[in-house]
Amino acid sequence: MIAWYEANVVLIQSMFISLLLALSIQVPFRAGVFSLAGIGSYGIGAYTAAIVTLQLGWPPFAAIGAGMLLAAVIAYLLALVLARLSGLYLGMATIAYSLILSVAVINGGELTGGAQGLFGAVSDLQTGHVVAVAVAAVVLLALSERGRPGRWIDAVREDPELAVSVGVPVTAIRQLSFVVGGLLGACAGAMNTLLRTTVTPEEVGFHLVVLALTMIIVGGSRSWAGALIGAVVFTWLPTVLAFVGEWQTLVYGVVVAVAAIFVPTGILGLAQDFVRRLRRPALPGGRP
Amino acid sequence: MAQNLLNALTLGSLYLLFALGMSLAWGTIGILNFAHGSIFMFAAFTGHLLVGQVALPLPLVLLIGTAVGAALSVLAQVLAFEPIQRRARDHRRAELQILVGGIGIATIPLAIAQHATKSVPFGFTGSTFQVEVYRLGPVQLTNVQLVILGAAAVLTGVLAWWLRSARTGLALRSIGVDAEVATMMGVNRRGLAVATMAVAGALAGIAGVLLTYYLGSIAAESGDGFLIKAFAAIVLGGIGSIGGAVAGAMILALAETVVLTQTSGMWVDAVSFGLIFAVLVLRPRGLFGRKEVRRT
Repeated sequence: MIAWYEANVVLIQSMFISLLLALSIQVPFRAGVFSLAGIGSYGIGAYTAAIVTLQLGWPPFAAIGAGMLLAAVIAYLLALVLARLSGLYLGMATIAYSLILSVAVINGGELTGGAQGLFGAVSDLQTGHVVAVAVAAVVLLALSERGRPGRWIDAVREDPELAVSVGVPVTAIRQLSFVVGGLLGACAGAMNTLLRTTVTPEEVGFHLVVLALTMIIVGGSRSWAGALIGAVVFTWLPTVLAFVGEWQTLVYGVVVAVAAIFVPTGILGLAQDFVRRLRRPALPGGRP
Repeated sequence: MAQNLLNALTLGSLYLLFALGMSLAWGTIGILNFAHGSIFMFAAFTGHLLVGQVALPLPLVLLIGTAVGAALSVLAQVLAFEPIQRRARDHRRAELQILVGGIGIATIPLAIAQHATKSVPFGFTGSTFQVEVYRLGPVQLTNVQLVILGAAAVLTGVLAWWLRSARTGLALRSIGVDAEVATMMGVNRRGLAVATMAVAGALAGIAGVLLTYYLGSIAAESGDGFLIKAFAAIVLGGIGSIGGAVAGAMILALAETVVLTQTSGMWVDAVSFGLIFAVLVLRPRGLFGRKEVRRT
């Protein structure tokens, strides 16, 4: 077990970081907001953490906090600016925002290190810290899926007009989902930078948008558990697919396409259906 | 100056050929095909493979590209997008699934081409076509540019006429306005959807082959960049509008040329992203798009 852990510590770290990244997309999705701004927040977090560590020598949690704060403020402004948009239009505007950031850091000169990125952001951040942060985030989000907040968020997603009419603060919930997504994305980006000690512009490109989106779709977008499943699957899939060698990207594409076509609710939805089917005969009277 | 303008016009025509099909499919049958860039690249790649065996002239390579593009696009429609639209509970869910499904499908031709070319750029070196340069005063014009400008003008004209005047074109536009009512009026939604995707794929194939002739060679990854740019052009002009696609493609190409020639650094890519963002914030329906109603 310990040998396995030591051999795979990098993958374990990236699994928890992927989980936070997937959650940064899943949280807005749950409120019916198709925002991919979490990717931009990941970039903001990653670069802010690297800059304050390198130039000001801040301790890791202060660096992560700085990134999260900046990303949250920008995410709130973005929510105000993009309030008119929904659906694909919102998705595209937020993708464009994330990609503008990646061009901006290439042209950022000394501050962002240009196309080479930043190196040597050494810190004493441990794997345990990453796991603790991820677990804390999951617990908080799991709580938000229960009781009144959970019902409010479901109402905002399923029928915003009805939700407004019964007094649910739709606009506030949408804005909050942007901010929470920004916090989670920045946290993932900052921790990734501090663990790897480097950050490059390629890391925050379009492929990260694709990765986050596919994790949510394959895992399931309704709950934090879907993001967890997606993060686990897409962290370990490359290892499992090692035997197909060069055709790995092909298999990856097929998996994503098949999931999108045949399993719209994700693996989580499949599992929930299965559990429901198992329980049904046990109901009193045995009615279908 | 005049030379830059001409080059921008050529680039805009290529963007236009690529964007037309995407805009048509999105504005009418509601399919934003993220595999469009991959189809575009694979049509050129098939041309490259065949030209390596037989020395083919330009019209034949174009025809092959058109056929491959149309076939791949129809395949994606029949195997992926149609089942998704049939099963999805609501419109928004379908949009998202089509987006992600398209991203997945796009990986397949890309992986094949990358494997076959070892990610080295490929071209039509075996083609019988020879590039000729004409000098008109201060500007240089190649015969490839002439073909590109001509193809873009003719195909856009034909498509615009078809959508405006032909019976099937009107039927297709009616699906874009209200799919259910259109079906009740006897519009064959399924057949028209397949036909639209075939046209879109064919246009992508033509754009792919012409781009390869224009640049000499393209890489397997070239499709991705074009996808984002075409997207910017469509959003700027207004989704589903032919005039909008023309305006969007030309404005984008001009803006990129200006940024490339007037500024230092690598800001060119930011032009398309910035345009998408700015248009969506300031005027979400684009220059010539229909206004959408939203309550919350």
